[in-house]
Amino acid sequence: MNKFAYSAFIAFLASIGTLVSVHALSSDDETDGASETRDITLDELAEHASAESCWKAIHGGVYDITDYVPDHPTEEEVILEWCGRESSEAWDNKSPGRPHSPGAERQLENYRIGDLVDDQGEPLSGDVEDTSADAERQDASPAASVSPAEDQRLHRAMLGQPMDGHYRGVFTDRGEIQVNITFDLRDGHLTDVNFRHLAYRGVDYLTLEEGDDLYPVMVQHRRITEWLEGEPLTTIFALYEPARVVDEVDGFSGATLRGAKVISAMRDGLNRGVYSWP
Amino acid sequence: MALRLYRGDLLLIVALLVPLMVAAPRLGWPPGEAAALLGWVGRVSGIVGLAMLLVTAALSIRLPGFDRWFGGLDRLWQLHRLLGFSAFILIMLHVLALGLARVPAGLDVAVLTLFPPPSQLALWSGWLAWLAMVIFLAPTFRFFGRLDYQRWKGLHMLSAAALLLALGHALPLAGETWPWWLLGALGAGAMVWRKLLSPSLARHPYRVASVAPLARGVVEIALRPEARGLGYRPGQFVYFTPLDESLTAGRGEEHPYTIASAPHDPLLRIGIKDLGDASHALQTVSVGSRVMLEGPYGDFFAAHHPDRDALWLGGGIGITPFVSAARGMADVDEGRGVQLFYLANGPDRAYYLDELTRCAGENERFTVTTHFYRELGPLTESFLRHHCPDYADREIYLCGPPGMIGHLRDLLDAQGVPAARIHCEVFDFL
Repeated sequence: MNKFAYSAFIAFLASIGTLVSVHALSSDDETDGASETRDITLDELAEHASAESCWKAIHGGVYDITDYVPDHPTEEEVILEWCGRESSEAWDNKSPGRPHSPGAERQLENYRIGDLVDDQGEPLSGDVEDTSADAERQDASPAASVSPAEDQRLHRAMLGQPMDGHYRGVFTDRGEIQVNITFDLRDGHLTDVNFRHLAYRGVDYLTLEEGDDLYPVMVQHRRITEWLEGEPLTTIFALYEPARVVDEVDGFSGATLRGAKVISAMRDGLNRGVYSWP
Repeated sequence: MALRLYRGDLLLIVALLVPLMVAAPRLGWPPGEAAALLGWVGRVSGIVGLAMLLVTAALSIRLPGFDRWFGGLDRLWQLHRLLGFSAFILIMLHVLALGLARVPAGLDVAVLTLFPPPSQLALWSGWLAWLAMVIFLAPTFRFFGRLDYQRWKGLHMLSAAALLLALGHALPLAGETWPWWLLGALGAGAMVWRKLLSPSLARHPYRVASVAPLARGVVEIALRPEARGLGYRPGQFVYFTPLDESLTAGRGEEHPYTIASAPHDPLLRIGIKDLGDASHALQTVSVGSRVMLEGPYGDFFAAHHPDRDALWLGGGIGITPFVSAARGMADVDEGRGVQLFYLANGPDRAYYLDELTRCAGENERFTVTTHFYRELGPLTESFLRHHCPDYADREIYLCGPPGMIGHLRDLLDAQGVPAARIHCEVFDFL
């Protein structure tokens, strides 16, 4: 055991030493390669907005990551969404508020092809985006015209990347628990969405029977849970516009229970974190 | 180490696997692609390695009785050593695999993964933990030779720093932290108990009642408890800390000694042979001086097969567990036959022999056979067979110097005696 421990220790030192020294010896070439960059305008950048050719501008640099997209751990469509655009925001928010690692930063440098410049050839950095360019892009972007209920970027930014698991959340108002909802997340998709409690002004909706005045409202809520089944988590924001989900929306306009309360209860569950592990 | 599983082992396996099981849904099965596989290996070895490190720390607890869950303190120590060793290997594999997994992205990326900017505290905490491990494990695994026992013990305390640094590495980076809090608390708790609490809480005060010379360089010290005495079984041992001011060495140091008295004896007796500075000084320990005892530990005479006759082979100071058992035999109406072979250099070195012979005279199921090296050379199979024809079918207990144990193991092995039937306690390390 002693000999093995010693051998492993020496082998470890040797391997790390080799890695570091090979890196030190080869790093000169890389700086040469990195200097071969050119100026790229936003217009040119925008031409490379697909999986066939995906360029991104991050903090003033332009990177051709076409070859890397298939290797990125995140879903391809999320990566491709930012192609042809200024993507510093996505880079700095790998998960909300958390930037990519220094290792990833070095890796990114391998894909650098140029620097982002404006029409006059002045450098543009992602940090000091001027408002006019921003406004232009907003107009040009298809997302600009999208309803908040459909804007996936907004949803992802608001929800972060919740872990898979079983969640429970509530919506309370005026001292009354109105919505208590449970749901499971599997790979970012909703399953087993159920109301544990549904009430408004002292009426327990889950005990209502067919023929009761408010029974249709309960049915509409049941529809919500059915509709959410198997959907990506971000679809809960569609409940801001319940008409997308449930045909007869009268019950909602009747100021009893609203989709917004369901969203609120579900986001409460997400804030509380995983209730039990899958 | 016998391959037999003790109930404590199952506990260990569960503790080791919990973090891996909790992380399993995230880790998935090993991927096929090389870099991804290396990354997977890196994460798994990190998780298992840290679990082993923390469980190793928890195993240092040394609670009387707890060690018997693992087949005695010597086996517990062997597990501690084996797990610590495995943790060290796995942690290095963890680093290397995660670094190499990033090589396809460029060497600079791989190097930066292993050596990030100083602001990545969690990662550097991992490196420091590894460094601490190297420092306190180097003498354990004799990287650069051997270290004096007390100094080795002091250096081994760096393991506490390694444990905290390793947690500082894992807690910010791990997906699920509760298993690390749990194992970390067990490991840290064990160390706090062992080093801070047990010296005052677990030690029992005794006074030296007599010191009787048995042979040149061998004494039997009888100890009278100041309060309630320890309860023990034959074959168990205690940690002995003499406080006698007049001792030339080893004052306040703890060393393990086997109990030689019978469990019913109001005095606790230990046979001490002059084998080093501390045991040399004890030959002249003052009568009336204070001694602290911690224990009892060990499970030498565990009930492996109580129905089977026993063969005892004792030599040197290793005769003491058999002395304890023989002295206690009068009280326990043992059904099984016991034959003791006393392997000594010569009659002058066969201490305790008179008393053992007397015990054999009083108990017809107990026989003592002497074998003197100076007259007969090493014990032979024919001698053994002549005096104990059914020796191969007995439960066999060995205790003595390493050379004797090695010789006997080879001898028994050559006769096809299964290793599971041979019981041996070695504590040159405790």
